[in-house]
Amino acid sequence: MIDHARGSIRRNALKRELHEIAAGHGTRLHFDLDATGFDAALVLAQATARMKMTSIELRRLVTAFHKNGSMNAVIDGLSARNVDRRIRCCRTAGSLRMESVVPWLTPLLRAKDARVSGSAARALGRIGGTQAADALLGAVQRSGPRRVFILALAQAAPDLFVETALCSDRRPGALGAVAIAAGLRRRRTAIGPLVALLGSGTHRQRVICCRALGWINAASAIPAVSTALYDRDWRVRISAIKSLTVLHAESSFDQIEMLLQDPDLRVRRVARRSLRRLGNLMVRRDARWLWH
Amino acid sequence: MGIHEGLIDQMAGEAFMRPQVHGEEVPVPEPGRPVLASAGPVLREPVLQRRPDNGWPSYEDMVARLAVLQRAPVFFTLSESTLRSVARRVRRIRIGAGEMVLYQGEPGDTIFFIERGRCRLVVEKPPTEVTVAVLSEGDFFGDAACVLNRPQQASVYAQTECILLALDRQNLAAVLGGRDRAALEELRKVADHRFKAFADTATQATWGMLLREATVVGVYSPKGGSGGTCIALNLVGSLSRAYPGQVLLLDLDFPYSHAALLAGLIPTTCLARMSEVPADAFEEVLLSAVLYHSGGPMILPGALKPEEGDEVTPELINRAISVLRRTFRYIVVDLGVTISDSTLALLDLTQHMVLVVAPELSALKSAADAIDILLQIGTPDDRLSVVLNNRTAKPAVTRDAVLRKLKRAVDVEVAFDGIKPEQAALDGAILSVTDPKSEVTRGSNALAALIDRVHNRSVVGVAKHADASTT
Repeated sequence: MIDHARGSIRRNALKRELHEIAAGHGTRLHFDLDATGFDAALVLAQATARMKMTSIELRRLVTAFHKNGSMNAVIDGLSARNVDRRIRCCRTAGSLRMESVVPWLTPLLRAKDARVSGSAARALGRIGGTQAADALLGAVQRSGPRRVFILALAQAAPDLFVETALCSDRRPGALGAVAIAAGLRRRRTAIGPLVALLGSGTHRQRVICCRALGWINAASAIPAVSTALYDRDWRVRISAIKSLTVLHAESSFDQIEMLLQDPDLRVRRVARRSLRRLGNLMVRRDARWLWH
Repeated sequence: MGIHEGLIDQMAGEAFMRPQVHGEEVPVPEPGRPVLASAGPVLREPVLQRRPDNGWPSYEDMVARLAVLQRAPVFFTLSESTLRSVARRVRRIRIGAGEMVLYQGEPGDTIFFIERGRCRLVVEKPPTEVTVAVLSEGDFFGDAACVLNRPQQASVYAQTECILLALDRQNLAAVLGGRDRAALEELRKVADHRFKAFADTATQATWGMLLREATVVGVYSPKGGSGGTCIALNLVGSLSRAYPGQVLLLDLDFPYSHAALLAGLIPTTCLARMSEVPADAFEEVLLSAVLYHSGGPMILPGALKPEEGDEVTPELINRAISVLRRTFRYIVVDLGVTISDSTLALLDLTQHMVLVVAPELSALKSAADAIDILLQIGTPDDRLSVVLNNRTAKPAVTRDAVLRKLKRAVDVEVAFDGIKPEQAALDGAILSVTDPKSEVTRGSNALAALIDRVHNRSVVGVAKHADASTT
């Protein structure tokens, strides 16, 4: 009970210190990664969650960490034996957007412990930039499409990074994951490469491309996605139906209606659901038009 | 984010079971895909890559990168070592012609330097769009989004195949954040300045549409005798056929203004004589000075005597245009050869510039210089039209030579029309009103249709008269 109370007091003290430093009112920082009773890295992550990379508040915090030697402790901790310490160091590095730590974080993506590789990926996602995104892309290529890697890649990738990766032949194994990342980023510059991959990729890549185009809300890609309704693979057809529903593609209503006669039961079921949603939208729009 | 995580789980389960041979993934061939890709030779990489980056660039590559970065005005003052650090960290990207590089309104974190090719910056202002700049080798874009954290101001499209050097925010901060903070601040200032300049350009170009006021079209001929007044007069005639009584020609071709004379009208007063008119009577007096041609065009002379040209000050032009804008749909201004203060004031107010060029050596040289000046002072690229006016049956300078010298396409070409323009001047007629078969009429109709299309007015109105060939 007393330990818990002490932990709370220390946590609040650290939180106050961080806020004061960020506001420019203080410079003294007592940051102990091994503090008992609370997670100092978590407190830091919460304090810096809304700070932008170029903000003056974050710069003040980074300076304070440099001055009291905590930065060196974080870098040392990344190679510690203790898993929890490594995770905390990863989180701290990510919170402070320490671009210089990227070469130390990259090997941690290969760690056997999923918690370590996950926290390293999250840290790289927060740091962002070409180096971090490249490291994550390599990890996706190497160890398959892990959710945490893809989310971090979507977060870290700078402009035109995923688009370039989608068009490149250098990492064919990561194309699917990159297509998901492109969809999650919701940048319209990815529409062209995704449509191109939809036309030439494997059936798995075509499935992902259809969904990613839906997430981006790429109305200009409706004709390409409509073509995927006639794909040989039932999964691609289902993905195209779902995507067209998200895109509110009323012009594809008749094409989706034809899929009610599809030989595959799953496709018929999804088509029925999609037609109901599109029909509701159309009825609502017409009702609004009549009302006005 | 929750919904996406669920979908990713689903996809990771069903869509990522890759074909494997002896535990290794089999790469899937993709025929004919690349739209945009990392430039340079594609190297086979080891499966386990030890370093996150692809190593240091080669010597030749570094020299090429440095050459591009050194041309950027903000990096000109950087020390050699800092510039090398920046050069090491840039990504090289190849973009196909016509591809989109950036999309307006989206967040951005990268500055792009053009190593090769040309890019078009387009600001979309529904119902139209404005090309605020065409950038080429050594130029950069994406700076406002990267350093000022603003959404992309313009969409960027590659006009030709481009090679870009991309420098993202993290790398920029890593290099310039510590040692050269002053350079970063300088970059911020430049980005802010460019942001405002592009915003002003876009607003000026769409002013008429935004406020439902007249579009001001400037007709400029950098060499006397190229037919600038003739084109301006006939352009007004063509526009008047679609919008009778709504098109005005303001003649500012000082010191000798002859537009009214060519149209067979006899002016009794002019703009120059209104400098002393009190503000409350200005509008009435100004509109009473407008001459009405029986064919539809209306003309306002700038000065009746050569010495009166000096009376037309920038302030007077601003006052007059602000009044005329509310009354007419199009104001075509015939500008003189000299670029005076009044001309510059008027250029600030124009939404479209027409440059009339005759296929002569001296006229071409002047026109090329004029294009540079107009683009430098912020005329949007798609709001500048070049008219090639053939004054002789067989011009000494060929069309190809004209294109080479001007480094841009000719928008409208007016074929040789014999003595018709001179005869029309003697008769006090406007060819575009009286003679539909004339070459001048065809050219002016094509120009009117082009202007009408760009400024998104009633396209049908003028386009149906435009049977001339638009090049």
